[in-house]
Amino acid sequence: MTSTIRIIIADDHPLVLEGVRACLEGYEHIEVLGTATTGRAALELARETRPDIAMLDINMPEMNGLDATELFREELPDTRLLILSMHDDREYISSALSAGARGYILKDVPAEEMIAAIEAIHRGGTYFSAGLGNVFARLREDPAEETVLTTREQTILLCLADGKANKMIARELDISVRTVETHRKNLKRKLGISSTAGLTRYVIENGLGQGD
Amino acid sequence: MTLRQKILLLATIPLILAVAAISLLVNRQADSLATREIALFEETMLAAKKAELLNYISLAQTSIDHLTSIPVNSSAEDVIEAQVRAKQILNSLTFGEDGYFFVYDRAGTNLVHPKQSWRVGENYWDLKDKDGRLVIQDLIAAGDAGGGFTRYAWEQPSRGDVTDKIGYAVMVEPWGWMLGTGIYIDDVVNQAAKTRAVADSQIRETFILISAIALGAVIIVFATGVVINIRESRMADAKLQALAERVVDAQEEERGRVARELHDSISQILVSVKFMLQSARRGPKTAESLGKAEDNLNLAIQEVRRISHDLRPGLLDDLGLSRALRNLGEEFAARTGIHVDISTTAFKNLMADDVKTTLYRIAQEALTNIERHAQAERVELGVSHGPAGVVLVINDDGAGFDQAKLAASRKPVGIGLRNMQERLTRHRGRLTIDSGPQGTRVRAWLPREVLQSGADPLGAQVSGAA
Repeated sequence: MTSTIRIIIADDHPLVLEGVRACLEGYEHIEVLGTATTGRAALELARETRPDIAMLDINMPEMNGLDATELFREELPDTRLLILSMHDDREYISSALSAGARGYILKDVPAEEMIAAIEAIHRGGTYFSAGLGNVFARLREDPAEETVLTTREQTILLCLADGKANKMIARELDISVRTVETHRKNLKRKLGISSTAGLTRYVIENGLGQGD
Repeated sequence: MTLRQKILLLATIPLILAVAAISLLVNRQADSLATREIALFEETMLAAKKAELLNYISLAQTSIDHLTSIPVNSSAEDVIEAQVRAKQILNSLTFGEDGYFFVYDRAGTNLVHPKQSWRVGENYWDLKDKDGRLVIQDLIAAGDAGGGFTRYAWEQPSRGDVTDKIGYAVMVEPWGWMLGTGIYIDDVVNQAAKTRAVADSQIRETFILISAIALGAVIIVFATGVVINIRESRMADAKLQALAERVVDAQEEERGRVARELHDSISQILVSVKFMLQSARRGPKTAESLGKAEDNLNLAIQEVRRISHDLRPGLLDDLGLSRALRNLGEEFAARTGIHVDISTTAFKNLMADDVKTTLYRIAQEALTNIERHAQAERVELGVSHGPAGVVLVINDDGAGFDQAKLAASRKPVGIGLRNMQERLTRHRGRLTIDSGPQGTRVRAWLPREVLQSGADPLGAQVSGAA
């Protein structure tokens, strides 16, 4: 390894943070820049340190790891996300994927596997704990998966249905107009709807939005 | 106003109205009956009195007949003599206490008045009684008509005060005398008044009796209402208590199961880990012991994950209802081999925690029932929301069950359903269960208001705009 892999870790359990940190400290090519106990704190830390990889727990107060992943993707596209979780449920894994995570490992994996995951992601690949691979494979075939919206997509869909323009949404959510446009395209693709009017109708048909 | 109050009003108001109407009618009838009775009594009494008067007058006429019939050619002295004799006879004729004869000439001058002799010689042509009747003129008119009755008020000698009396007058033709007598009718008037008083008091008594009966009836209605209410609330209490007991039983059972699992699996594993760590510290095969300890710790982690997942799926909080239901359906399919069609929505975080927990538990309960009882081959599990509200459906093609029997049973299934129903009701929702030979359809509905589209953790965090 020529360069060190710069990492931050977020988990609301200090013992886990300590354990993971201890695990990684034995490896010279990995540098732990800092730790955080909430999703929001992890974002703050990442803004300062610009890590290569953020390892996020899912269950965290003040924004969970999945919502944080979405914001990382928007704001810090160079930081790759590795979810570190207690849960081996398929829905968690698919949510992590659709939020934009590159890897998903269980907290009880051996240290070697954790390192393997970090390295794989740093190289630009993806990594899923042994045993989760099947889940991952099945996910790709499931058409239903495509229609589940991420938190951000849902917010933007509701804003659009409210009649807000891209610019306004971008200002309200403090993101770029291009990002809003990307989400909008994804929404149309996921829901199979081609127009903004169609999106609004979809929201109203689902009993949401202001229009009655 | 509560339903009970309305029913009581509905029972008592017509009763009170009916009683009021009846007492009014009875009152009127009794009153008119009394009036008629009194009129009849008066009429009879007066007729008797009149007959009496006629007899007296004819007696008086007879007693002076020999004087009035003296020859026409008699001398003036003889006539005066005869008149004096006639006056003497009439003065001495009395009947009863207040019965007497009086004589006036055509001009209204008194000629005979045995009880009030000071009247003799006075003129009473214009005399009016207390009711304004021209007493003497009326009497003379009656006499001129060939004999007739009049009614007027006159001083009653025996009592000294003025009372009603009936008079009868005839003319003693040769002399132009008006001969009359009268009879006081105070006894008739008194008797009528007494009868009236008796009737009035009877009417009053009847009214009081009817009122008492009505009051009694109203009290009975209210008392019955109270008794029914007490019984119902006791029954409701008993039901509630039974339900609470069953819920507590179910809770205890659940706690017992968790405690057993913690003890049987986790604590045994941790004990073994402790022994391995101890042996690693002392023994020769340190690496091997540590490896085993690590393996067992992983086992413990998995067990904790399984138990906590059973208790409450973290998915529901982290990923929302749709994904939690998907997970539930997939696990169910994997465990039972029953095919599950799952349809969920593209949205998440739309409902408050307790709402989505309620829906999740309903789905869980329904699937558990299907697994235990239905022998189904296919299950549909779906959640959707729209302008009409949120709907969760769990349909199966299994054997179905008798809802009434199930709801009454002490088995956890019955409790579970009822519990679900209560939880839904708290959010103004409804649970409907249709079960038949072609399967069971469980449908939970919640009003649209449970959707809260404004809630977004990212939006709220990134900007203050809502």
